[in-house]
Amino acid sequence: MGGEGNVRQKGSVAVMMLNVKKMGRNAKLGLLVCLLGLIAAFAGNPYKGTRVTIDTAELAGIVQREVDHVNPVDLADWIVKGLTDYRLIDLRSEAEYDQYHIPSAENAPLATLPDYGLGHNEKIVLYSEGGIHSAQAWFLLKALGYKSVYMLRGGLDDWKDLVLFPALPQNATSEQLAAFAKMTEISKHFGGTPRSEATMKAGDTTMPLPKLQAPASPAAPQAAPKKKKEGC
Amino acid sequence: MVHEEAMEMSAPFFKFGMFGDSFSLLLAFLIGIGFGFALERAGFGSARKLMGQFYLTDLAVFKVMFTAIITAMLGVFYLGWIGFLDVSLVYLTPTYLLPQIIGGLILGIGFVIGGYCPGTACVAVSTARIDAISFLAGVIAGIFLFGEAFPLLEKFYNATPMGQVTLPGLLHVPYGLAVFVIVLIAVAGFAGATWVEKAMSGRKGA
Repeated sequence: MGGEGNVRQKGSVAVMMLNVKKMGRNAKLGLLVCLLGLIAAFAGNPYKGTRVTIDTAELAGIVQREVDHVNPVDLADWIVKGLTDYRLIDLRSEAEYDQYHIPSAENAPLATLPDYGLGHNEKIVLYSEGGIHSAQAWFLLKALGYKSVYMLRGGLDDWKDLVLFPALPQNATSEQLAAFAKMTEISKHFGGTPRSEATMKAGDTTMPLPKLQAPASPAAPQAAPKKKKEGC
Repeated sequence: MVHEEAMEMSAPFFKFGMFGDSFSLLLAFLIGIGFGFALERAGFGSARKLMGQFYLTDLAVFKVMFTAIITAMLGVFYLGWIGFLDVSLVYLTPTYLLPQIIGGLILGIGFVIGGYCPGTACVAVSTARIDAISFLAGVIAGIFLFGEAFPLLEKFYNATPMGQVTLPGLLHVPYGLAVFVIVLIAVAGFAGATWVEKAMSGRKGA
């Protein structure tokens, strides 16, 4: 190594290095973490959650295969069975939500969705009035790295047509009759009104929406999931 | 729809769906074995060793815990900083201030009386220590009692909720600065603990 003159010239740095050599292992580790801490103090913020990465091919594939849809009838079935392994999100405004929403749905208007507190590994079912907003929200969540995001096919419109006010097609086959009988029960569970030819009139779209309290779901009290909104 | 130029966030692995529930349980099992092994090798399966902490003669537990905390803290900070870990997805236990203070006191009293904390009791059971087995039986009985009495305790259990809070968020200081200050506190605590151990064992000898 260099002579004594060198050490003197390098001054305090060399003295420090000399002291480090004399230090015990614990002291060295202590010095190391202090140094890492000091760098951390000036390194800036480690949160980078707003950046997104999109696998375009994967997304396009999902869209094309339509595996990201949930049929209203299936959703109705889940609710009747009391399944709780998914979260149903109503993307409409609070006023619309208060007027009517699918039982067990939580209200999270589109703009609030990224901060709503959904888990990345949770199964999420989105719905809006038609299909456009839920498709946009679906894309947003997918981009943010949420894995299992689904849309209610046809949105609330189809929910009304297929679940709340199911219609018996004219000249129905026996199969269709059986299916309609089943849907009648489900519809009544949700406080809906099944339509047969007798009640069906042209342009009959102003069926009364069920009152919110009406459907008694066997699932856990519906207030519970909504509470999460205030949590954090 | 462009690939982000920066490094792709990929951790926490579970939250990004790299594996499912069953594999995460397997991983937890393996990590648990490693954790238990390290605790046992550090001597934390012995109530005598653990009690040294309260007589100030052996502060190894304090030192190990503080070392673990700052190692993990620096790891999380730098992994987040280089973009490997999405810190916002790391699960934080929500804070319920009052119940957690009371719960901490009860746990501390149990630790002093029983000689173990729940984790070290499990470690000590693995070497068939009788005191640890009876301690763990007590823990299980306590969990059962708590579960049965939960309707009575529920209101207190959910009292003073603060959500998921962090020190930087609570004190409105930059994350890195909080890291630095905690490192300094830990290093000072480590040095202080060593000094206390020397002083106390010296008094014992005299």
